[in-house]
Order: sequence, then structure tokens, then C-alpha cells
Amino acid sequence: MAGVALVAGVAIGAGSAVLEATLRPWRVGDFLAVDRPSDAPAPQADVPETTHHFGSVGSGEKGQHAFVIHNRGVAPLVLTRGATSCTCTVSDLGPSTESGDGASEAAAEKTVPPGGETTVSIQWTGKGSGGPFRQQATVVTNDPRRPEIAFVIEGTVVPTWKAVPDLVTLPKLSTKSDAVATTTIFTYGDEPPHVDSLAAIDDRTKEFFTISSTPLSETERAREPEATGGFAVTVAVKPGLPIGPLRQTVRMVFRIPEEITAEIPIEGSVAGDISFTGQKWDATRQRLVLGQVSSRTGLNTTFFITARGPNRELVRPVISDVVPSSLVVEVGAAEPIGTGAVLRIPLTVTIPPGSPTANHLGSEQAPSGRIVLTTGLPDSPTVSLPVSVVIGP
Amino acid sequence: MMRSPAVPVRDTVAHVIGRLLAAIMLVTGPFFITVVVAAPPDRAAGVSDDIAATFRERNGAVFKDWTRPQFLLVITGQLDGYIEPCGCTGKENQKGGLSRRQNFLRAVAAADWPMVSVDLGNQVKRFGRQTEIKFQSIADGLRQMGYAAVGFGPGDLRLPAEELVAAVAAVGDQPTPFVSANVGLLGLDANITPRFRVIDTGGIKIGITTVLGDEEASRVRNDAIEVVPAAKALEVVAGELAAAGCTHQILLSWASPAETKNLAEQFPQFDVVVTAGGADEPAATLPTLSTKAKFVELGHKGMYAVAIGFFADQPTVRSQRVPLDARWGESVDMIKLLAAYQSQLESLGLDGLGLQAIRHPTGRRFAGSTACADCHQEAYDIWKETPHATALVTLEEQRPRRDGDPECLSCHVVGWAPQRFEPFEGGFSGMATTPNLAHQGCENCHGPAAAHAAVERGDVRASTAERDALRSALAMTIDTPEGREKVIANCLECHDLDNSPNFDFDEYWPAVEHSDDASAAAEAQLQ
Repeated sequence: MAGVALVAGVAIGAGSAVLEATLRPWRVGDFLAVDRPSDAPAPQADVPETTHHFGSVGSGEKGQHAFVIHNRGVAPLVLTRGATSCTCTVSDLGPSTESGDGASEAAAEKTVPPGGETTVSIQWTGKGSGGPFRQQATVVTNDPRRPEIAFVIEGTVVPTWKAVPDLVTLPKLSTKSDAVATTTIFTYGDEPPHVDSLAAIDDRTKEFFTISSTPLSETERAREPEATGGFAVTVAVKPGLPIGPLRQTVRMVFRIPEEITAEIPIEGSVAGDISFTGQKWDATRQRLVLGQVSSRTGLNTTFFITARGPNRELVRPVISDVVPSSLVVEVGAAEPIGTGAVLRIPLTVTIPPGSPTANHLGSEQAPSGRIVLTTGLPDSPTVSLPVSVVIGP
Repeated sequence: MMRSPAVPVRDTVAHVIGRLLAAIMLVTGPFFITVVVAAPPDRAAGVSDDIAATFRERNGAVFKDWTRPQFLLVITGQLDGYIEPCGCTGKENQKGGLSRRQNFLRAVAAADWPMVSVDLGNQVKRFGRQTEIKFQSIADGLRQMGYAAVGFGPGDLRLPAEELVAAVAAVGDQPTPFVSANVGLLGLDANITPRFRVIDTGGIKIGITTVLGDEEASRVRNDAIEVVPAAKALEVVAGELAAAGCTHQILLSWASPAETKNLAEQFPQFDVVVTAGGADEPAATLPTLSTKAKFVELGHKGMYAVAIGFFADQPTVRSQRVPLDARWGESVDMIKLLAAYQSQLESLGLDGLGLQAIRHPTGRRFAGSTACADCHQEAYDIWKETPHATALVTLEEQRPRRDGDPECLSCHVVGWAPQRFEPFEGGFSGMATTPNLAHQGCENCHGPAAAHAAVERGDVRASTAERDALRSALAMTIDTPEGREKVIANCLECHDLDNSPNFDFDEYWPAVEHSDDASAAAEAQLQ
């Protein structure tokens, strides 16, 4: 293939070279990839500023800034609109200063004469829930050195108020433990906030919640430099909520000085004292899925019991039964996680090589296997965990 | 006969050599073009020139004039639950989603550019069973896309640790893509996720780690998750990355830009530092820190990927923000993943998702739009011709259909809290049980009207004062500043920035404008 290409290339190249050389003289420079300016008259866009920092605006407020573009070249500079961010618009490309041969006033295209200048006006709206804001608008030019100019608008959008975090979460509350969670409300009014009321509004569980607020210290407030005040909301939960999902809402009324009524969701779940998790633990079906295992190679995997609540130290799992009988389950030592409010207990499951074949997929014909353990807890002393496993050859 | 001017010998030699080279390239060119110099990835396979041109013009060109890098680092993150862009106002007008992201990554791979993809984290931002399922689906998607490292954001760490373990744990022989220097699900020593990862691409070793900043860590309220201070964790990891002989080191820091810069200064060996927070879209040009690290903001909601190319020659680093718009088409694999996600939601139903109906602030219940037609026929007829009246159909017609997804349903049926994605008591619970509450009906603006309708029909006895109170509770006006403000606030519950970015009340109102015909008729009767 390479030989054929070489012969063909030599033939075509030599033939065309002779023909071309007789028609136009070539220069060495014709073959060099040098980025040199064309000799043709060209415009030259000169932009003293491409980023505008507008400081801060209120949410929903509009802003505008005019960027200047000079034409330092010797040919007319043609400007057209390029890509823009969704909340940014480029207005008419602005009036240009006359420099002899006049200027086009088309809305989406502008011609700037040599030596002239024009402005590109960019408008934006401070949308969103507050925070840093950046939008960009591009102007396309016929300057071969600068085919695009990106203008950037940066600043901060200031909301009326905001909660950090915006959702109070209480994952896996123990039925027997109390719990506390907090969120911080930053306000941006003319005055520091005056809190009129705070309440849990869902009647079904409001008796379990105590909501309170404390003003922010100056250090805490300074975490949001634009904020003019704020308060911390503390949600204290009493034990006794039913197992399952937990949803509640805090309704706050405060003045800054205008009156604001705001709601913060509280979401969580109330769980029993022990839970199971791990690579092969199916949380949806609440079963251990070991799948197809070869008797030749066997299997070794670990999953975990997590124990929480005031009785967590009582959790001492002891295996009392396993199906299929070839499963070997070892209980590891309990280890505290982080601050110790939850204990982690590993359960290592082994199917030794050479185990007899078995089918416990979980169907009517092949009922699930199981791992039965005593927990040590007084109110749920025994737990049976379904196991899906097929031990094949 | 004219003669050609004399040609210098030197030029002729150059001419012949050049032509020979050109001819050889002509014959063998297709081979080289295909194998060596594939075009930069500027669209997904199968996307038309028109679509590519439209979105290039709208959102900017990508990889223009780029050559093949030694490797391309693709950085994503802050998905914030936007597994796909909302289709309410035309999905083609919005950016983001896993489907386009996968097609972008595939386009890079098809261009034969060596690539390493990493994700800062925060796949989700809410709580509850739907969020857990969504997180699991996204984690599966990231695995399919071959991510080298994925961090944890505060939204992720709201979920119960047990659910996170189930979603992120290694699957068979495939290691977990999740990595964190300082976050340990079930404790750091449980080793559910590694502290860092070293990738070898084309002989270049790239070390990657992620951290959760101390400020965010202080807000994590999840007893089964251990978080140690970021700097302390990085001290250990930085040493291991250095020992591994990495050419490049990448830090994904879920922290504010200020806190991330602080970490970058403490650990100057990282040459790419990615931060959370920042502006809603990434910078077109990456700033360089005093440590010479490239500093990356990603923007919000996964609308952009940021790509950094590393080259052997100057400039050795180039960057490109990549808008994930319609030029990347749809990935069949991600559409399947989304379909499975929707199917799970549907099979669980509202009960299975743990959605308990909440009491409407007024304490009243819903009647359905047809009940309103008994008296307000003219307004009903106008509504019937608006897209509001077929809002649920638009979800049914999506592929995959979305009518089992509470995050979509909440603005397409009557009687849900739009921003909380949960039903009010007596609100829509399914076509089988509450077909009269399908679509975006009268009561979502005016309020629950069951009591008003019952009194007007004579089903319930009420005094004139009680009847009038029920009537006035449902009345709305845009003729006063307060009334107009209230009406607009109500519209914005669904026509929010995510789903209706171009919403302008004055532009939209004429399309649904109606007046209080029943009251007017009643007044006329009295006269």
C-alpha cells in the first residue's frame, strides 16, 4: 500500500509541479505554516475592557453596560452578534463615531470605519436565588486576528433572603432518640430581621417539633458578605415519631422591615434501631442478593449492620441459622462511625469453594435462603434476612 | 507565443518537493485523516449540520482550531438533580442532562482523543425515596460513562449513608468511581470508597482526589458519615499522590471558591483545582492561581462540561467550556437509564415514594376544573384552549413518559405543591382515582374550590356571608399592585427559572386572559 502510494505520489507530484511552475512562481514561504498578517487592508478590533464587574443587584433587577470597541485597522470593522448566555442580551451595537465614510446603523450588525469606535451594550437580569452571577455575550468580527470578542458580565445577585441549607434534613432518625438540626437564614433588607413567628405547620407531627431562632453573630453573618442580618433556626425533634418518611414545614414570619413569610421544608426518615447496607444488599427489596456463585470459586463479601439510637451499644448480633447451610457468616467487631452516634458492624459472608449446589433464587420453586440473627435488642430480638443465591457447578 | 517568466531554481526545487508531499498526502490522506488527525469533537454522531450550526451560533463553538491533546480532562459536576433538562419549554432550548453528556464524551472518544472524566459531585439536592432512586440512577450512569473519579456534594450527603453505600459501592470487579479524601460512608476506615485514584492514560499518570470543604462538612447532619477536616485529609493523600509519581494532580473541592483557593495554596502540587459554588455558568477562560493551578468553576445544574487539554507543545494547556446543548443529541443508553428510572417511580407510586399528602394552607379541598364550568363557562372555554388544559398529556407523550414523576407532575395536575413536588390532601393522585384533577386547572391559581362549588350547587347549606367568603377567597385580580403581585407569584411557582426561563407575565397573560364572567352575570342579574 505504501509503495503504491509512493509511486503514485511521485508521478502526480512531479507532473503537477512542472505544470504549476510554468504558470506561477512559487516561493519557499508558500509551504511554511507561518501565521503572518495578510498584506490586504484589514480592520483591527481593539477592546480596552472585556469583563465588567457590576457589584451586586437585587434578584430580578436589570443591569446594562456598554463596552467600547475601537477599530485601529485600515479597513472597516464589521461586528455581528454571536452567542449569548440565556439571560444576557446584546442590544443594537450602538452608535459609532463617524470617521469619514459613515457607519451602518443596522440593529444586529455594525460597521466601524478605520479609526472609529463604537459601543456594544449588554443587558442582563439578575435572575435566580442569589449568589455569584456570570453571563457572556460574544460579538463576531471580521478582524482576522480576533474573529470573536467575548464580553463577560460578573457580579452578585442579592436575594431578599436565603436559607443555608435550603432544606433541613434528618436522615434515619431513631424512633427512640431526640435530634437537632439547624439552618441559617441570611437576610438582605435595610434592617436586621425581626422574627415574629416560627412554627411547624403540619398538624400531624407538629407536637414532636420545637422550633427556635437565635440572631447571628457578626462572624456568622459575615459568611454571606452581602447579607445585612440573619438568624439561625434550630429544629429540635422529640423521640416517638413513627417509622417511615418524615415531612414537616417550618413557616417563618420576619420583618426586614418589610414582612416576609417563608417556608423551609424539613425532610427525613425515621428508622428502626438497626439497618443493613452493602454492595450486595438490595435496599429496595431488603434482601441480600448474592446471585449466581460457582461452587468451584466460592464467594466472599461483606455487608454491614448499622445500629443507632440509645440502645445501639446493646446490639450484639449472633447468627442462629443460615440457609443454605454452606453459607458461613462471621460477625465482626462493632466500630463507632464519626462521633459515635451510629455503630457499624460488618457481616462477612463466605461460600467456601466446593460448597454443594443449591438454588435459593427466591421463587416459588426455589425459596430464598436466609440469615437469621439475634440482635441483642429487647424489642426486636431476632431478624431474618432473605438471601437470593444460586450455587452452581 | 507567450513565455512564462523565469523561475528561480531554488523556488522550483521547493515547489517540486512540496508538490510531492502534497500528492503523497492526497493518496494516503484519508488513512491519516481517519487515524491520526480526526476532526475535533464538535457534535454527536448523527447530528445534522443545521442543528450543529444553530447551537454553535447560539452557545458558541467548541474545540475550534484544537489539535489532538495528549489527553483531555473532562470535568462535570453540580448536577443538582437535573438528570435531564426539563422539557416544559422545549428541551432543545435548555442545556444539560446525562444523555447529552454521554454523547459528548463519546464524541471525544470517537475523535480518538485520550480522555479522563471526573465529576465534582452533588448529583442531587433533595431528600426522600425519589432522590435516593435518582442518585442510584445517576451513579449507574456515571459508571456507564466510565468516570475515573466522582466526589460527594452536600446534596448527596443528605441521603442516608446506607442508601449511598448501596449506590456507590463497587459492583463485582468494577471499582466504584466515587472517591473522597475526607468523606467516609459508614466511617473512613470502612473503605467503601478510596481516598484518591491514579489513572494512567497514554503513559501519563494523573492523580485525582476529592474533598468536602470544612464549611460544608459542618452542615452535614448524617451520623453514619464520617468527615475529617479537608486539609488534614489532603496531607495524607497528597503524599500518596506524590509517591505515585503523578505527572498531573487534580483536586475536586466541594467548597466555596475562597475555601478552595485556600486549599490550593496549602497544596500547590495540584495543577487543576475545581471548586463548587461560583457563578451560574463557567468562565470561558480559566483563571490561573498563584500556584499556577488552573482554577475551574463548573456552573450550576450540569449545563456545561469544562474540558482541559494537555499538550506536549506550547500552549501546553488549553481549556474549553462545553455547553451540553442539542448539538450532542441523545444517547440511547442514557435514555434507557432514564426510562428505567421513570419505570421505578411509576411502579412505586406515590405511597412507595413516601409522599404523604400535605394540608393545603387554606385547609380546603379540590373540585376539578369541570366543576368550575357550571358557572364560569366563558373562563372555562378559554382555559380549555390553552396548553394548561392538556398539561398532563405533555408528560404522557414524553419518551420516556413522565406522568409518574412527582417532580414533573407537580406542575401538570391540580392540587400539588409545585416547588415541593408533593400532593395536597384531595389533590391529584392518579388518572384512575382523580381524572377530574388532571392538567393545570383553575384551582392551582384560584385555590381549592370544592366547598365553593358545593355551596353554589346547593349540596351544602351556607349563609350568604359564608357563601360570599368562599367566593371572595377564590377571586383574583391584576388590577391592583398587590393583586398583580400575588398572581405573578403564583405563576412563578411553575413558570420558574428552570422550567420557563423566558416567562414574562405581560407577554404570557394574553394567552390565558379571562375575566370573572360568573360574577359579572350575577351582578347583571341583580340589576
